[in-house]
Amino acid sequence: MMARIISTLYAAAIYGFIFLPVAVLVLFSFQGTLFPIPPFNGPSLRWYTAVLNDARLTDGLVNSLFVAVTTSAVATLLGFLSAWGFARFHLPASALLRGLITLPLTVSYLIIGMGLLIFFNWLGMPKSLIAAGIGHVVINLPLCFAIIYSQMGEHQANIERAARDLGAKEWQVLALITAPMLWPALFASFFLSMTFSWDEFVIAFLLTRFDTTLPVEIWNLLRAGLNPKTNAVGSLVFGVSIVLAIVFELVAFRKRPQ
Amino acid sequence: MSLTGRQPIAAWASVSPALLWTLAFFAVPFAAMGVASLLPKGDAGLSLANYTQFFTNPSYWRSLTNSLEVTLIVTAISVLLAYPFAWILAFGVPERWQRLALMLAVLPFWTSYVVRSYSWLLVLAEKGIINDTLLGIGLLSEPIQIANTRAATVIGFVHFFVMLLTLTIFANLKQLSPNYRKAAADLGAGPVRSFIHVILPLTLPGIMVGAFLTFVLAIGDYITPQILGGNNELLMPQLIMMQIGRRGDFASASALSIILMLVVTIAYLLCARWLKIERA
Amino acid sequence: MRSSRLCRLLAGASFGILALWGASSANAADELNALVWCDHSDPNLLQPFEEANGVKVNVKEFEGTGAGLAIVEQSQPGDWDVMVIDSIDVRRGVDRGLFAELPEDKLPFADLFPEVRMDDMTTICVKRYGITEKFGYNTIGFNKAKVDPNDMQSLAVLTNEKYKGRVAIYDYYLPVIGLAAMSIGKKTSDITEADLPAIKEVLLKMKANAKAVTDVVSSQTALATGEADVLVGGGEWVSAVIAKENPDLDFSVPAEGAILWSQSLAMFKDSKNPELALKFIQYVLSPEGQARLATSACYWGMPANTKAALNDEQKTILRFAEQPDFLKRAQPYPAPSEELDKKMQDVWTEMIQAQ
Repeated sequence: MMARIISTLYAAAIYGFIFLPVAVLVLFSFQGTLFPIPPFNGPSLRWYTAVLNDARLTDGLVNSLFVAVTTSAVATLLGFLSAWGFARFHLPASALLRGLITLPLTVSYLIIGMGLLIFFNWLGMPKSLIAAGIGHVVINLPLCFAIIYSQMGEHQANIERAARDLGAKEWQVLALITAPMLWPALFASFFLSMTFSWDEFVIAFLLTRFDTTLPVEIWNLLRAGLNPKTNAVGSLVFGVSIVLAIVFELVAFRKRPQ
Repeated sequence: MSLTGRQPIAAWASVSPALLWTLAFFAVPFAAMGVASLLPKGDAGLSLANYTQFFTNPSYWRSLTNSLEVTLIVTAISVLLAYPFAWILAFGVPERWQRLALMLAVLPFWTSYVVRSYSWLLVLAEKGIINDTLLGIGLLSEPIQIANTRAATVIGFVHFFVMLLTLTIFANLKQLSPNYRKAAADLGAGPVRSFIHVILPLTLPGIMVGAFLTFVLAIGDYITPQILGGNNELLMPQLIMMQIGRRGDFASASALSIILMLVVTIAYLLCARWLKIERA
Repeated sequence: MRSSRLCRLLAGASFGILALWGASSANAADELNALVWCDHSDPNLLQPFEEANGVKVNVKEFEGTGAGLAIVEQSQPGDWDVMVIDSIDVRRGVDRGLFAELPEDKLPFADLFPEVRMDDMTTICVKRYGITEKFGYNTIGFNKAKVDPNDMQSLAVLTNEKYKGRVAIYDYYLPVIGLAAMSIGKKTSDITEADLPAIKEVLLKMKANAKAVTDVVSSQTALATGEADVLVGGGEWVSAVIAKENPDLDFSVPAEGAILWSQSLAMFKDSKNPELALKFIQYVLSPEGQARLATSACYWGMPANTKAALNDEQKTILRFAEQPDFLKRAQPYPAPSEELDKKMQDVWTEMIQAQ
């Protein structure tokens, strides 16, 4: 009984800690005056209108979504293909190559971004969303690979072999058998990649020029004047993500996989 | 069992995209950075000047020790806070609410990292919520300074990593077969002994992976110390960004980055035991 | 099948986003790329120009000439059309072969405050490369309800222990080192490497008194939220923009003097749009443009053009009438060689790292 009380209190405390900045964020997005600090003068919707009228922010939002979705798709696809290749076949220097693919996990984003900046400068390639996107795939690919590879098992290989025996071509096996079997891992990879790419700042900051992602736009906004517009943006993003989470919950999880 | 020799083309075809991408956009840029670090700005030709500068300039060296201290503290606190939390979510919450509870726990991930950091700055400010509350209930007579100090940086980091570690430790605990606990209980072990001698060792690899991830992400992060630390001290990423931002000195920035990489590699070697990517 | 439904959902979302993204970027007609300090991003300043000329102005912000030049270095030729650069640094841009000559007859040089025309800085070998557009002071900003304004009239307040823990330092090494030099009686134009140790002493004392070293926005926030009551390196650029919300914020120009900051506009030699660039510079220097620039969202400052169309309230906030007196006591930023500049930045880093 005691254990129950303590664990409930502990969980509540941690939840409180986790949500504290978010609560403050949302509260002061309705601030009536200029600064998002106490005392609270409001509620007022002026900052939300300001955000929706701010083309830079809305552009940044769309850019972020675009980069997140495409890079996560690419990273998941490359991760899936390579995990399958390494798991099913005995390739020379397999351990070394696998290590190479997962190596970027240990390198700070700042360093990856800088390396790409130096490399692209040398190539004469301009800064752009594509450049930042390339960087995002670099940081997410090892993650996708690691997650999917760890889920590759013998039982799946057997089913694949059965399908092959029944005459399926290699790509059909991959697309129609392996991928669906591994969908939790694929989903987790995609979801995690989206999360990391969506919120990623340093690489986007170093590698984009004018068309940039939301975190960089917010950073720029904050350099121009601390105001509750950023609170409004943060709250909007938060609101959208809650909606997305609910949608995924209904669409993807309606039938609990057993 | 693997299909040795059978359709090796399919094998190479499937792994080459990932390999080529990693080579082209990670390995080569990294090499370019290495070369750049040996060509100091203003000098002609190769030289180790940027590296020697790091070891001889105390404020540069200090940023590395600052980074290590902060990162280790953050990792330790985050693991200690997240483990019990993940445990409660995995074993204390009824099955059908677990996914929801977990999603709630990581939902703040989806507010922008930059905005969240600024929110912490305002929460911890002298006129912010924390000080107001503590003053209001009489625990303090004067506001204390938390914002713009190392403590604020640590709090900002811990906030992020408790969420991340909860996710990873939860996954780890969930895949632990309940048979282990039952077996330990059958053999007479109380919950504490069962935890220390059975559960903890089994989950240790998962914890180490999470801790290592925390270490790497924290030591390389620029935003949190920059927004919350008030420039009262510099951590490595801030020092590196200063070289690029204020001086356009890529050579120096590259050298510092490589040194940072070395530190992380050493950390990796120390944890290597637990960090193998195993298949199911 | 579950996964294929998910696939379709994702594919649909991606196409939708692609369409939106394509639509939003298709409108970029004629564009001007400007490398600026944050006060030029204010739509209030840019919109009249954009509408009058049917163009889009893309801005990239930086803080500090070093940062701006670093961005140029990382860019390709033709990436940028105009740049806002401290008047004292126009020479650095010219030395790197970046800037184009400005036509004397097309710009209102005669209307500028004489002290900020900075002919010696913006004219090199008879050719003019920059025109001053805005100026102000890096001096002592403070909250007059929380401190004794009399203390603020002397640079001795930089190291006065009375305000320990309530001071913030503006994170730009050049003007603050200049202030430190002035406080020990050195002129900013005379700073040499030999003076650095004495300057470092002052800086370390300042840091010991200080709560934080802050950039433009954090500085404003610190004063506005009461984190700090004194801002070293502050000035009208900090207090004026939030004057309406907090009229207690003020600045002083001490007896020993203060540092004068002055921004110039320059045009890039390899700009793809030289006529549009010139039009932009003409707009910013016009009375209308000057008024908007002076009161722009990021920070306020004095317009360089005496004919700026400011109203009386704005002029009072900026202390328009007291300017001649201030300008007499103000010294420009230090203009170090690349060598000395690096040493100054090292001293600055040491100050930040000091406990």
